[in-house]
Amino acid sequence: MLAYVLRRAAYGVLVVLGVLLLLFVLFFQIASPDDVARRALGEKALPEVIEQWKANHGYDRPLWPWQDFSNNMLFEHYRSMLTFDFGRSDADDVVITERLRQGVGPSLALTLPLFVAGISVGIVLSLFVAFFRETYIDRVGVWLCVLGMSVSILLYIMGGQLVIAQWLRWFPISGFDPDPSVVGRFLALPLVIAVLSGVGGDVRFYRTVFLEETNRDYVRTARAKGAGEIRIMARHVLRNALIPILTRVVVAIPFLFMGSLLLESFFGIPGLGSITVDAINGNDFSTLRTMVFIGALLFIVGQIATDVSYALVDPRVRFS
Amino acid sequence: MDAWVRGWAAALGLAVAACSNNPYPDADTSRKILYTNYNEAPRTLDPATAYTTSAHAITGNVYDTLLEYHYLKRPYELIPGLAEEVPRAEPQPDGSVVYRFRLRPDLLYQDDPAFALGGEGRSTRQIVAADVAHELMRIGDPAVNSPVIEPFSNIVGFRAFSQSLAERREADPAFAAKPPVEQYAGVGGIEGVRVRGERELEIVLANPYPQILYWFAMPFTTPVPWEAVAYYDGEEGRPHFSDRPVASGPFVLEEYHKQARMVLEANPNWYGVRHPEWQAPGATYPSEGAEGDAEAGLLDPALMGRPLPFLERIEFRREKESIPAFQKFLQGYYDASGIIRESFDTVIREDRLSPEMEELGVRLEKSVIPAVYYLGFNMDDPVVGRAGGERARKLRQAMSLAIDAEEWLRLFTNGRGVPAQSLLPPGLYGYDADYENPYRRVDLERARALLAEAGFPDGIDPQTGKPLQLTFDTPDTSAQGKLRYSFYVNAWRKLGIDVRLEATNYNQFQEKVRNGAYQIFPWGWVADYPDPENFYFLLWSEMARTRNQGPNTANFSDPGFDERFLAMKARENDPERLRLIQEMRAILEEERPWIELFHPEDYALFHGWLRGVKPAGISNPTSKYRDLAPALRAEERAAWNQPVIWPAFALAFLAVAVALPGVVTFFRERQ
Repeated sequence: MLAYVLRRAAYGVLVVLGVLLLLFVLFFQIASPDDVARRALGEKALPEVIEQWKANHGYDRPLWPWQDFSNNMLFEHYRSMLTFDFGRSDADDVVITERLRQGVGPSLALTLPLFVAGISVGIVLSLFVAFFRETYIDRVGVWLCVLGMSVSILLYIMGGQLVIAQWLRWFPISGFDPDPSVVGRFLALPLVIAVLSGVGGDVRFYRTVFLEETNRDYVRTARAKGAGEIRIMARHVLRNALIPILTRVVVAIPFLFMGSLLLESFFGIPGLGSITVDAINGNDFSTLRTMVFIGALLFIVGQIATDVSYALVDPRVRFS
Repeated sequence: MDAWVRGWAAALGLAVAACSNNPYPDADTSRKILYTNYNEAPRTLDPATAYTTSAHAITGNVYDTLLEYHYLKRPYELIPGLAEEVPRAEPQPDGSVVYRFRLRPDLLYQDDPAFALGGEGRSTRQIVAADVAHELMRIGDPAVNSPVIEPFSNIVGFRAFSQSLAERREADPAFAAKPPVEQYAGVGGIEGVRVRGERELEIVLANPYPQILYWFAMPFTTPVPWEAVAYYDGEEGRPHFSDRPVASGPFVLEEYHKQARMVLEANPNWYGVRHPEWQAPGATYPSEGAEGDAEAGLLDPALMGRPLPFLERIEFRREKESIPAFQKFLQGYYDASGIIRESFDTVIREDRLSPEMEELGVRLEKSVIPAVYYLGFNMDDPVVGRAGGERARKLRQAMSLAIDAEEWLRLFTNGRGVPAQSLLPPGLYGYDADYENPYRRVDLERARALLAEAGFPDGIDPQTGKPLQLTFDTPDTSAQGKLRYSFYVNAWRKLGIDVRLEATNYNQFQEKVRNGAYQIFPWGWVADYPDPENFYFLLWSEMARTRNQGPNTANFSDPGFDERFLAMKARENDPERLRLIQEMRAILEEERPWIELFHPEDYALFHGWLRGVKPAGISNPTSKYRDLAPALRAEERAAWNQPVIWPAFALAFLAVAVALPGVVTFFRERQ
């Protein structure tokens, strides 16, 4: 297994190197170091100030190794990322690790409960519709799921803000405050919206898995031995269906740390997703590359963790 | 079973009770806290570099300045702040000019651990003249990247200071490693900034530049303690000085989380709080104002003459999206707001507040921003520019006569703006409300005649026999942006000219302008300080974009204009200055390097519980003059925000009603 993990990790390194190169090329296609400086200093900055800023931030070097092999931005970009020396934000000189530390709390405050609630609601509802398979409850349930999947999350967000926050006035329309007396109010609406928007796809997937299991021989045997339907669903079907569910769930775990781009942006939650969006909007290359780099690392960790967990829960799976 | 029912009922009751859209802790309801919002956090709070409205909202409140603007009077008038009085220019025989500032006695900084660097156990210290000199040296320090080097270059020895600092650092790494304040002393400071004791400071300008005083009303020139710069160096977990203001003003920055919120608290060390008996103009609510202020409730006897500040705390909450922010204003959770485009028609009817808004007790304040938006011609261009001579001038005049700025404002900004006749906005010295620019009204007949005189009859270029082709470069590729700029293209099309819209992204647009690769372009300018010099310098040849990378994006160059500009720049407001302004205006009227479009107008909304609000066009600190009534606010919020619970029960009932028959049938069939 160790050999397998190492091999996957080696592939992962190649992916990360590729992602970093792609990011560098794409970013500097769109924005020049002058633009980065101008965004940081404002429109009224004089050319000499811009030159000085570029020198202070290392943007006065040539971009490519063939322009100057010993002193170029591409190599420096790789050096700083691969040594985890994220440096300071181009936008406001804040130490990036400090910003990550500030952002990870709000992100986890949203994504962890969302992760747990999403899985729980998805499994309970899919067990419910699978239990009543081929009745109108099942059909209405599937129809609602397809309907729910077809609607963009943006519509859920705007609709939720309009109906739940503006008309019904249950929760604040947006915002975040870590104060324990109010934090629940801020998280309730994005949680409800995210669970609602994701539950359709989850229920359809889990339902298919459950239905496949309910048609297997061991279920018929259990039923023949006189086990009740509820006991069969909860003890036998759910347990055996966990393997495909696990693959879907484990891959998502590392990304909990990255937060949610859309939800954080629309609800003004100061997490890592929000930081990424700000970095894109603000030509903040040093922050953006850090977020992309961490995202790529987490993606690889998620892939490896999924493979490993699959083998752990299903002895039939072998590493090769 | 009873226990279950009771448990569920209790849980449900708790959930209903927890339902609230109040984004603030309940304990804060009765406090004098002003709630406002921001979209993008300031990039820096270093007073030497912060140059945006969002940064000045903080720096303007925490850093006090030697001078400031009178809160109510218009045209803008300087009053003393930390200085005892506004200094007068003292011309010297050698042509230089001296300004002598004298600081108030017993001025203290906020409490801060940085002051321990100056002596064990110290938590604050006296504000001295050397702190102002220190900040001026920081502006001149190339490593600080201050964007305002240019105006301070009028100070004797300012450029030389910057240069010798850079040279010494380059030549001597040991020197470069010293704390900045020692480096400044090492190169002898700035010759024209003389500290004459703890409270006296002399500024010597090489040439007359009366506008320098406005810069002493901006946070750039606030006293900055060397201890703060040395201590907040970003090392060992300490923040950078750019993120940790050490205040001399009415508020201190209590919490600074850029992504979420910024909190200011009243500063107990501020001179206004410690010495209300001084009745200092910058620490007392004014008793006189401009026309209309009394009617607007700004000269309320309950406010006049009272010591400032009124608020205990100001909370800036981040709102990335404008609609939720505006909704929170309507719910009473923000005390003031702008008007978003999506809600304009429900808020404003016939240029007044709608009855719904009036019922909420909301007030509307309109103010013209000291800014100008314009279409510029690149005067270096062979077709529309100076090389085209008389032909090109007539072409520019004709194109100017085709643009209807009033219609543009009506279509795209709900009429929020004043059509511009010249580049000077209302409220500035030299602005003439009666002036009518003969080329800034729509007159297509005259425009066609001018085009024919220019050699383009009906817009036809005789060389090609086809309509004259020009390009209009714009920095906005969005559909909305294209629509806005197509308005001008269509107007010129009426003259037969074929103007092609070249929409690129902002960065590419900047690049084009830097390289001079453009013919016609849109641009705007917001004043730094309320003086005509800050507008006319935009057409001074020394500021040309392609030659000197200055803000003269039209690359306009006219010796007669330059001569008058330099004379006007050096004068204080007097009839001669006014004459020079009018002559420059006449040159621009005829030459048409710009088609002046409009001066934008700001519509701001305030809840009835907020008092002492006058919109300030110039970015200056006004929060200390604001007051609010928390009890009234709490009452209104409670009335407007009762949650509507019944739909939750209706939804639950519906779900049960739909599923129940199926469940019952299913189990019956199984049995």
